[in-house]
Amino acid sequence: MRRHMKVLAVLAAFAVLGAACGDDDDGDESGSAGDSGSASAPGEEAPDGEPVVIGAQDFGESLILAEIFEGALDNAGYEADVQEVGGFRDLLFAAFESDEINLAPDYVASNLEYLNEGAGQATSDVDETLGILQPLLEAEGLTALMPSDAVDTNAFVVTETTSDELGITTLSDLASKGADLTLGAPPDCETNGFCIPGLQRVYGVDFTASFTPLEFGVIPDALNADEIDVGVVGSTDGRLADPETGWVLLEDDKSMFAADNVFPLASAELVDSYDPEFTALLGDVMAELTSTDLVEMNKRYDVDRDDAEDIAQDWLNDHGFGADE
Amino acid sequence: MTAALLGVDEPLVRWDWVNDHTDEIVHALWQHVQLTVIAVAIGFVLALIMALISVAWRWAFGPLAGFAAVVYAIPSVALFGVLVAMPAFGLGFRTAEVALVGYTLLILLRNIVAGLDGVPPATREAADGMGFERWRRLVRVDLPLAAPVIIAGLRIATVTTVGLVTVAGLVSAGGFGELITEGLSRNFSTPIVIGAVGSVLLAVAFDLAFVTFERVVTPWTRVKVRRS
Amino acid sequence: MNESLQQMWDYLGRETTWSGRNGLPALTWAHIQISVVSVLIAAVLAIPPAVVFGHVRRGALLAVSVVNIGRAIPSYALMALLLPFALRYGFGLGFWPTVAALVLLAIPPIFTNTYTGVRDVPDEAVEAAQGMGMRPGQLIRRVEVPVAMPLIITGMRISAVQVVATATLGALVGYRDLGTPIVTGFTSRDKGGLLAGSIVVALLALLTDGAFALAERRLVPWRKPVGRAEDVMVVPEEVPFAGSTTAIPTGKGQTR
Repeated sequence: MRRHMKVLAVLAAFAVLGAACGDDDDGDESGSAGDSGSASAPGEEAPDGEPVVIGAQDFGESLILAEIFEGALDNAGYEADVQEVGGFRDLLFAAFESDEINLAPDYVASNLEYLNEGAGQATSDVDETLGILQPLLEAEGLTALMPSDAVDTNAFVVTETTSDELGITTLSDLASKGADLTLGAPPDCETNGFCIPGLQRVYGVDFTASFTPLEFGVIPDALNADEIDVGVVGSTDGRLADPETGWVLLEDDKSMFAADNVFPLASAELVDSYDPEFTALLGDVMAELTSTDLVEMNKRYDVDRDDAEDIAQDWLNDHGFGADE
Repeated sequence: MTAALLGVDEPLVRWDWVNDHTDEIVHALWQHVQLTVIAVAIGFVLALIMALISVAWRWAFGPLAGFAAVVYAIPSVALFGVLVAMPAFGLGFRTAEVALVGYTLLILLRNIVAGLDGVPPATREAADGMGFERWRRLVRVDLPLAAPVIIAGLRIATVTTVGLVTVAGLVSAGGFGELITEGLSRNFSTPIVIGAVGSVLLAVAFDLAFVTFERVVTPWTRVKVRRS
Repeated sequence: MNESLQQMWDYLGRETTWSGRNGLPALTWAHIQISVVSVLIAAVLAIPPAVVFGHVRRGALLAVSVVNIGRAIPSYALMALLLPFALRYGFGLGFWPTVAALVLLAIPPIFTNTYTGVRDVPDEAVEAAQGMGMRPGQLIRRVEVPVAMPLIITGMRISAVQVVATATLGALVGYRDLGTPIVTGFTSRDKGGLLAGSIVVALLALLTDGAFALAERRLVPWRKPVGRAEDVMVVPEEVPFAGSTTAIPTGKGQTR
């Protein structure tokens, strides 16, 4: 009758083993800014400062940009790690607040419109927009570092068929002739200043009632399967420029979109903890980045199914930020 | 060409991706196993306590079983949802485990109690006659005799939990569910298929493991069981 | 938690929550619709064969394997798998892929419980009916199915609750139901919709369970209800991955 003792012992052992290993994973899952572990490049001293944890939003381009930051910093001897925040801008700010991340790639105009709750202050001039953004960021303990010329705004697309049938080629057309079309976009569209609220503010059309939240990756297929009429993709989407894709990009004739340049969003604490070399490095990366680069990288991610890390490494190597530089 | 650009021509499983990502897949497997084993182990301990309480105080069984039944009826996504909304939990391993443990309780509690109830009264009386005190008898006679039914309950609970762990991918707890989530958000069928097949195979493996385990631990039950 | 509760309060206070395609009433109705349709289709597909198998007292292994395999298949994976298929082959997002997955999930409990119920009709009752001159068709209709009714309803109850629960995942493949605010809430800071949706779904599941419990009591007045849906224990047999699933009621004074 001692078998049942063995049984209980085995189960208990499993539980203990599992709990012990479980705690390790817990650490991986929600690493705080004090928790990263990249090795410094050989022969370099890790500069004194906080370990960098870079937040990536839930879409390919954000992940790729985060990996680019990580790779560039890592290769220069800083301690850096990427942390996926599992959502969009609101979770990004929450992660900054709770110290889970201290750096993230984001887009100037959209960031501003998030903080000012869609007031429409962003313009197509990046410096002007940045000027309005900085004080708002400082109030959150954050700061914007030098932006890139690379831009990624939202893009509203319809299939060629829809465009021909309804005679829609601009967003004004959409407002006047397509108000009852279904819109497919990521969940944050309802609160994103350049999505549903933006259309409302600039074009006077409200898509809240006919909005279908979809994952970014699904939208192209859904559009082509006619499951949705209008899809939201990024302007740097790898498939957009290709005429064979069969999409029509609706023109922003009333200039709703603004300067959505890529920029590094950092916590003030992080920047203060390092010498100016830190911000200079990120500035160099931003200077090298172009919209065309983004399109190419997105294509590799969405169509070729390459890993964000590999795509980032290749870009870094091609632009002088590689491991041996 | 368009089709290729949009991935419609993408095969259901891209084996080159699988080859390149074996460590990611193995890591998901390991996380999945951990999540399952911990949930069932903790659930078993809790259910055992609840069962023993029910043995000592008969009236307690109703409320305890009722509580477990209510938890069981709550859709997993909803329970995850409520837990995620609580700052103490949020996303991650702990949230997943709390929900998963909750779901094992009903099956395990019922089976432990049913197993204990199924001990023939004659055997109990014989043990009492031999001088066993109540708790010793429980541990040395009742539980071993109840073992087949208890192990059956563990088996169901484990297989069910393997399936539920995939849903835990929604709360970023790891496991095959996260592969599935990755595939969903990228519209990439390969990780979805790998995640799905992986969790089914894991369930089968656990099931077989239990059948073997039960045979080893309770050889006296290798008799074809009566049809009630 | 306070913040989340406040967000839910705000969510419930918003006009958009109560109107239109993405409003709570519409989502709830869509949820109920797809659940009912799926369970009905599953019943139509599962009950007739199960009755036949039970009547001829064959196919125990099949019945048992069906339920074990059904239990092992992760509903999330099933739903997710359907998305690329659906888009590829033109079934579209939403309704039909979700129904397909839900039907597959609903079949095992209905099939196995019906089979067991019919199979376990006491031999004496069958013999008596045959002695009275009943032909097989009559036997099935007038004796076996009515006697098996408690278990059939139990099976439908298990399925219905599972379907209501899993229909939330339909939101991931574009079907707008109560799962939509929940899944969106997972990746957003505003947990208002998440909480509201979760509570409504949980209530719906409990209501469904309760409704079937009532149905059991009403439709089968000559027997006390078999008990809760989860009265299905595995009594082990020799065959791996195929424990028998015999429903053993745990109420007192029941005999089988």
